[in-house]
Amino acid sequence: MHGPPAVAAVGLAPHAMWRQRLGDTLFRGLTQAFAIGVLVLLGAVLVALAAGAMPAFRKFGFDFLVSETWNPVKETFGALPAIYGTVLTALIAMLIAVPVAVGIAIFLTELCPPVLRRPIGMLVELLAAIPSIIYGVWGLLVVAPVLQTTLQPFLIDTLGDIPVVGVLFQGPPYGLGMLTAGLILAVMVLPFIAAVIRDVFMTVPAMLRESAYGMGATTAEVVRSIVIPHSRVGIVGGVMLGLGRALGETMAVTFVIGNAHHIRASLLAPGTTISATLANEFTEAVSDTYTSSLIALGLILFVITFIVLAIANFMLWRLSAKEGA
Amino acid sequence: MTYEIQPIETPSRSRPHLIQMPAVDTPTPTPTAEAKDQAQPKVQIKDLRFYYKTYEALKGINLTLHDKRVTAFIGPSGCGKSTLLRVLNRIYELYPDQRATGEVLVDGQDILDPRQDLNLLRARIGMVFQKPTPFPMSIYDNVAFGVRLYERLGARQLDERVEEALKRAALWDEVKDKLRESGLSLSGGQQQRLCIARAIAVKPEILLLDEPASALDPISTQRIEELIADLKSDYCIVIVTHNMQQAARSSDYTAFMYLGQLVEFDTTETIFTHPKERQTEDYITGRFG
Repeated sequence: MHGPPAVAAVGLAPHAMWRQRLGDTLFRGLTQAFAIGVLVLLGAVLVALAAGAMPAFRKFGFDFLVSETWNPVKETFGALPAIYGTVLTALIAMLIAVPVAVGIAIFLTELCPPVLRRPIGMLVELLAAIPSIIYGVWGLLVVAPVLQTTLQPFLIDTLGDIPVVGVLFQGPPYGLGMLTAGLILAVMVLPFIAAVIRDVFMTVPAMLRESAYGMGATTAEVVRSIVIPHSRVGIVGGVMLGLGRALGETMAVTFVIGNAHHIRASLLAPGTTISATLANEFTEAVSDTYTSSLIALGLILFVITFIVLAIANFMLWRLSAKEGA
Repeated sequence: MTYEIQPIETPSRSRPHLIQMPAVDTPTPTPTAEAKDQAQPKVQIKDLRFYYKTYEALKGINLTLHDKRVTAFIGPSGCGKSTLLRVLNRIYELYPDQRATGEVLVDGQDILDPRQDLNLLRARIGMVFQKPTPFPMSIYDNVAFGVRLYERLGARQLDERVEEALKRAALWDEVKDKLRESGLSLSGGQQQRLCIARAIAVKPEILLLDEPASALDPISTQRIEELIADLKSDYCIVIVTHNMQQAARSSDYTAFMYLGQLVEFDTTETIFTHPKERQTEDYITGRFG
């Protein structure tokens, strides 16, 4: 394109030009301020957490991270059981939720009759609309008793007798515990993961799908060889989103995990998570050391979530680097 | 077989009436030219109608495709040529709103019969699309993909089959040292030849090419056309193209379609030199619309 300069072509008077430019500058400044505001807020939260956690770290040192003791009476605190519970319940949740979410996404994008696609998709998304306290109450009053009388005795009788793995499934069936918390978490994060994975599956180009079907591949083969590899990056993103939620989920977990500050090998045993501990004990923390220890827990959760996000970004970066092009 | 990229001499290519007709035994273009061809009919399409929901996209097509010949479908956008191609391997069935009626006989067997095994049918009929569609896997696995679906080959045999297909697609020399690299790392023209290699690796009987060169540069286009000429000896090839010169250069038969109907079908030479229909003439001379 060539011709006279744009100003003349548009035919704007100089003052109108000036007004436009001013509007542009203001708009840019405003959006920039919003973006920076979020960063400032994040920094402020981090600083506040670090400052609040300082006394605890000063008193217990590195021991805070590796000690199993959590004794408010003697005022000795160790974060390990809460960290362990946080990571373990999130892990259980992901082990259950990710395969189911992938299955739902495959069904919705590849197999489901078009009439049912929207209703089923919406029902799955509705799971995300249920408040977490409802999940907690449901877990405590419905799921835990049922698990206590059915799944848990079954696991103890079968898997519990296997040499190495059996350790995970021994002890009395409390109903409440790590496994129950993981299950509830799985249901809670399922809609998020399923929705993300479904959306990335839908971005697989129709032509690519058709060329695989055109080779004579079955739906299962197309999904395994084309759809999933093509969506790797998005799947990782969805899983990390779910993991982030599972790590931070508070209310539902608090209801069903049993809130015990110890580490047991069995998945059926009660435990605790960082967020459950905070929810339960913040109002009871009377001494400065106690409060500071709880804030230190919060800081650790912050760091764990940050690490998960960093790993996710690193994986995405490696995947896209591997794709080349 | 090594390919040197040679400078393309364009002048002769821009004149559709100077066409070399290599294989068809039709010295004079006559209405019965088709009957004189010794090639065997491979596909017989009878009263084929196609619907997108209620819209009739193909309105009763009757057409015979010959084995070891190239048939080009030409016509303006939306005339139904791609649709016709998509019926031949029933890929349209992925979409519940689309359906076809009539008969498509491949070696006398109606492939539209619901009892026909779709996956086996598609293994017999290879398809290459407008844009390169390399699968998200290595170059080797791309070519081996279809073979692995239907044949149990030993590692050595599979290697041979992949090499053969890549050589046939004139890609071997460029990729033989990086078979383990992603198919996505290749250039557009290479990716398209990879897709052709993938299609012929399963030794199909019919090769469907849906505007295979529309997204490629002239040099890659030339290579694809050379490839088509080379592959013709073994396959029944159908090519959809918007490029009139391409149809003239690379096909033996040409079908001109318009608004879901087959307007004219004859040897390519006849279509491009003595079209019987006014519409055909207008289209190939660029006066259309």
